[in-house]
Amino acid sequence: MAIDRRLLFNIDWGCLGAALILMGIGVATILSATFAGRNTGLEIKQLYAVALGLAGMLVVVSLDYRRLVDRAPVLYLAAVGVLVYVLAFGPRIAGTRRWFMGPGGFQVQPSEFAKLVAALLVAKLFAEAKKETLGVVDLLVPGAAVALMAVLIAAEPDLGTAFTLVPLFLTVAFLAGLRVRAIVGVFLVMMIVGSLGWMFALKEYQKSRIYTFLDPNLDPRGAGYQKIQSEIAVGSGGMAGKGYKQGTQSQLGYLPARHTDFIFSVLAEENGFVGVVAVLGLYMFILWRAFETAQMARDRVGAFLAAGIAAILSFQVVYNVAMVAGLVPVKGLPLPLMSYGGSSVLSSLFAVGLILNVRMRRFAN
Amino acid sequence: MGTARVRIYEDLRTVQRRVGVVQALVALVLAGLLVYFWHLQVIRGKYFRDLAENNRIRALPIPAPRGPLFDRKGRILAENRSSFNVVVTSERKDGLGGALERLSRLISFDPAEVRERLNNTQGPRFRTVVVKADASDEDVATIEARRLEEPEASVDVVPLRSYPLGVGLAHSLGYVGEISDRQLESGAFEKLEAGSIVGQAGVELQYNRELMGRDGLRRIVVNSRGVEVTEAERKAPLDGPPATLTIDLDLQAAVVEAMAGKSGSVVAIDPNSGEILAYLSTPAFDPNAFSSGIKASEWAELLKDPEKPLMNRPIQGGYAPGSTFKLVDALAALQERVITPQTKFNCPGYLSVYNTVIRCHKESGHGTVDMTQAIALSCNVYFYNVGIRLEIERLSRYAHMLGFAQPTGVDLPHELPGLFQDPEWKMRTQQARWFPAETVSVAIGQAMSVTPIQLLRVAAVVANGGKLVTPHFMKAVGGRPVDFPAPKDLGFRPEVIAAVREAMLSVVSEGTGMRAKLEGIQVAGKTGSAQVVTHARLETNKHAREYQPHGWFVCFAPAENPKVAMVVMVEHGTAGGTSAAPVGGQILSRYFGVRAIGPGMTPPPDNPPVEPSPQPLRAQVAPPSPALAQARPN
Repeated sequence: MAIDRRLLFNIDWGCLGAALILMGIGVATILSATFAGRNTGLEIKQLYAVALGLAGMLVVVSLDYRRLVDRAPVLYLAAVGVLVYVLAFGPRIAGTRRWFMGPGGFQVQPSEFAKLVAALLVAKLFAEAKKETLGVVDLLVPGAAVALMAVLIAAEPDLGTAFTLVPLFLTVAFLAGLRVRAIVGVFLVMMIVGSLGWMFALKEYQKSRIYTFLDPNLDPRGAGYQKIQSEIAVGSGGMAGKGYKQGTQSQLGYLPARHTDFIFSVLAEENGFVGVVAVLGLYMFILWRAFETAQMARDRVGAFLAAGIAAILSFQVVYNVAMVAGLVPVKGLPLPLMSYGGSSVLSSLFAVGLILNVRMRRFAN
Repeated sequence: MGTARVRIYEDLRTVQRRVGVVQALVALVLAGLLVYFWHLQVIRGKYFRDLAENNRIRALPIPAPRGPLFDRKGRILAENRSSFNVVVTSERKDGLGGALERLSRLISFDPAEVRERLNNTQGPRFRTVVVKADASDEDVATIEARRLEEPEASVDVVPLRSYPLGVGLAHSLGYVGEISDRQLESGAFEKLEAGSIVGQAGVELQYNRELMGRDGLRRIVVNSRGVEVTEAERKAPLDGPPATLTIDLDLQAAVVEAMAGKSGSVVAIDPNSGEILAYLSTPAFDPNAFSSGIKASEWAELLKDPEKPLMNRPIQGGYAPGSTFKLVDALAALQERVITPQTKFNCPGYLSVYNTVIRCHKESGHGTVDMTQAIALSCNVYFYNVGIRLEIERLSRYAHMLGFAQPTGVDLPHELPGLFQDPEWKMRTQQARWFPAETVSVAIGQAMSVTPIQLLRVAAVVANGGKLVTPHFMKAVGGRPVDFPAPKDLGFRPEVIAAVREAMLSVVSEGTGMRAKLEGIQVAGKTGSAQVVTHARLETNKHAREYQPHGWFVCFAPAENPKVAMVVMVEHGTAGGTSAAPVGGQILSRYFGVRAIGPGMTPPPDNPPVEPSPQPLRAQVAPPSPALAQARPN
């Protein structure tokens, strides 16, 4: 368990530093979004989560990622077990069963961690298929494994997190040598599944969200409300923003979930385009380094793991930021590192930890 | 796992190339997002800023009316009336311009004070501030007529707490007011926000949580000047539940009338249950003045008034019980078999004990008296002897048992416990030994501080056959009865209670309390005086009001089946028999609808006994005389 001293020199301090800065900005923005409301002190809770996450990250970094990947099947089974348990026995909060109640009222959102387990498993399965090119048939086993997890998460329902498994799967499959023809085929299958899902699986509120996304004025008080208000918040921030704690949209309190999924909206309103450039720049830096790690990795497993996690993070950042700008339908998907929430913070930090892990062990030994 | 060994031979070039593709793709998408944000924030920034200014939605609370308070017969004690508040909504601190000054010329208020409150608000710049609470109809009409010129001003309709009886129930019901910054910080009221109206005293404070409803909510769309454009959502408030108090308005009215012009306390309870039928602390204040926010000048006036109208005398006034403490002496001595009702002592007008001479209030002495006579005539010498035989430990034990030096548990905030001096107390506070001579002073109700409501409980113990009650105001909230500790049986033998009751009857029938006599209803009572200055000081100015002792009268009636037990305390009223007993008589006669036939109320009897005022005692260090310590009554 002890870390080889030499490995410390190879830790990507830049990437870690960028993550810490983003979390700091996140805590400050959470304070701004909640200090005037009923529920204050969230920024302190977030700091506790960050501290816990950093401790956990230390553990993640100290274990060789290859050993972690070796354990992926066990972790996968455990994750599926917990997801099933939550679905069956979890407390119902706001119409969903996403939460695992720990002792002392401690709540954990297992889906946040399940996606990391999925990344480990996908890396393992594709690395074991030692072929130069992969066909559709080669996708069946990993595809089924990921799909099972996605379905369990989607059933909570937590469509946003379930969706993050798609870019993970596609990215790693692509890296593993999936033929371009096969990619087109997978895309077609997903289209069919998607439209069937639209017809049979989606609940009315989910459909209405998509309708109103297409035309928010259909329901300006209901599902279109968040999109309109968030767009106004972002747009009215202008070049320099309205100033910290001075966002009219945020402070008047009609941005729901403004400290969780819509934290970027508060940031954009109060810090303007300048703040947006700074924060997106930091994300860009982290993601760039993450993909770079995949290129540097000493083996396929490492490359797949780093790239898979980078894909998850990229999707979350891009989707969340696009959602805040009103470009895509509103989904419950936190912004990694910045959104309020213990599970999200921990999971983001573990993800960064896994990438650091691959990078610091990139040299042969 | 084989991967570790195979690694060296892995060809990673395809993987690395494809990673590059994904990496570039992500960078491209993020760059695209940045371009979109540029478009949204910089190119279209003005458009969205206008939207943000013009299309604001604000949540405003709709205050819930507090539960109304009723007396035991369903008559209203506190209600809510609709009142109008003139408010201004400020979007920016500088945004009001001259509006405040223009408005102040129309409806007269202090613009500087309002501006200060506006500037003191934290956080968001948007805030509604009341400039004039409980505005008159003319003010409302003036504001409504200028809606176009002064859009920042508007009129809110709010429920305003109103107390029809005003001053008469100020100290029992208390009053309401806006939650203060200190209360917000201390968390005295859970989950309440600035601007909430909460109980600040009395029953209103004690039962604040129960009486408050849940505020409703209005979501309104306002324009950039903060003026309501349209209402988007409305959630009706939940009214506070009505509460029934134990107060009997008839008796309360009689109490208020009888105490008119006096300072002091009256509390009347049902001696069997502890239910408070009437409660007065006077002088008092008008609780209605607090409902819409009391003016600083009025508040200062109340604070510096030498008569202390803010003090809740029945639970906070600490007085020496004086001769009323002889009830405790008698209860203790009879129960401990130190005396019997027939035990006699001779009163030559003084007692020589512990190397000092202590006098009775009647210089010529009461002669040889038994316990009933001693209580009826309030003979001090008799109870000096009783006190000496009981000794301080037993006196202290019975006083504490009867509820002295501890809160009664009445459902009012800020009750004071009073004080009882005994050896343990003296050692704790002064690190000094107890002198036997001090016991003598305790026996006649000095060296202690009791509240009127504590003394009332002693009368109730005699009235109800030996049970200590918890006085209380609340019968039911929202139809649900409120529970209080059951009366606690103190274990007095029936003949002890009967003897003290007999003595209390003779106080009114032929003793110091004759002025409380009623026609056809037997009243049992005990008078007392609480000295406020030393005897020597009183001699210097015999008629100065502030030197006069406080008059006590505790009683219950009808004696054979008590319906009411009462304490009357008239501050600086002089002797209790002449100041407090007539008040008691007047109240009881009104309540029972019979004539008061005491002296001064009807033609006076030949020789109304004079109420004693306790003599100052100089406790001197001296060993008790062995002869006296061994003396036995009879």
